[in-house]
Amino acid sequence: MQTAEHQSVSTACWSCGAPLAGARAFCDACGKVQPPSPDADYFTVFGLPRRLAIDTAALERVFYRLSRKLHPDVYARASANEQQWSLDQTSLLNDAWRTLKNPVSRTEYLLRVEGVQVESERAEDGKAKESRVPADLLEEVFELNMQLEEMRMNRKMGDDDPALRADLEKAKTQFEAQLAAVDADLQSLWSAWDAALDNHAPAAETKPVKDSMVALLDRRRYLRNLVRDVNDALGN
Amino acid sequence: MAYSDKVIDHYNNPRNVGQLDKASSEVGTGLVGAPECGDVMRLQIRVNPETQVIEEAKFKTFGCGSAIASSSLATEWVKGRTVDEALKIQNTDIVKELSLPPVKIHCSVLAEDAIRAAIGDWKKKNGVAEGAEVAQPTAR
Repeated sequence: MQTAEHQSVSTACWSCGAPLAGARAFCDACGKVQPPSPDADYFTVFGLPRRLAIDTAALERVFYRLSRKLHPDVYARASANEQQWSLDQTSLLNDAWRTLKNPVSRTEYLLRVEGVQVESERAEDGKAKESRVPADLLEEVFELNMQLEEMRMNRKMGDDDPALRADLEKAKTQFEAQLAAVDADLQSLWSAWDAALDNHAPAAETKPVKDSMVALLDRRRYLRNLVRDVNDALGN
Repeated sequence: MAYSDKVIDHYNNPRNVGQLDKASSEVGTGLVGAPECGDVMRLQIRVNPETQVIEEAKFKTFGCGSAIASSSLATEWVKGRTVDEALKIQNTDIVKELSLPPVKIHCSVLAEDAIRAAIGDWKKKNGVAEGAEVAQPTAR
């Protein structure tokens, strides 16, 4: 299990020569800004291990503190290199903040840096064969899309079928509940992941957790699209 | 990235949109989905029990233009082929025909999956083992 702590870099500060630890933006010894480390990821930017339970309020405070420290205005009189690095570090920090502040994009990102292949990547080689989406969900998605299409067509004709509208309202409630259930399941997987990470669990233990997260994220994407489409069709 | 003329043609004039009787033993139904974009595709075939030739194919796809074009093309291609010939259709053939850009390759994969799923369903209904060659009708 590779964690942030184990990925220490053996490079030295360009300015004072002190060894640099943990792909950080500043040298611990002299405080000078550093070029972004090739080992940096969105977790190391904030000095965090790859845990999924993150206190976003605390994360935001670190984000603002680092943003101020890295702000290009601070480097207006610095060397051309330092100006460039402060820009590079700022843009890395912004990407990291945007990705980690949302729990879903944080989970997707974690799976990516953990080397989990996502569907679109598997599809590139044309070998993706097994649909990961459970058949019953596909049936539901298909049926609901049929209803949505009917509703849109009726609308175009000037009709608003109250029975169909009631069906859609029911479907909307149902899909929103399913979405909430998926989010609750995701939350318990985050705890499982963090516990495994804290215990330095072997890959055999973390793999099923990662696989379950991938499956849940797939399901979540469908449900989110459905809720959005139902809302559109209902004119909400 | 603009859609190719062929994609636009299939999107504006989709071939073989519709539904076959799911309960019929001659009909195979494939329902597949692409989680990353939320597309769903249903492809159905009607197979002549004597000749194993796919005589009719219908689809219904909820998704982007490339997904609709890929499934529309798939129905055109499977029609008139035997089940075994239809299994030889590759997603890369669809990519070439429709000039799909890399970000839309998964749409062609979905169409290939749909063909396989429909044929798999038909085989199951007719007691043909998955992966087994369909017995060729012997001359009597």
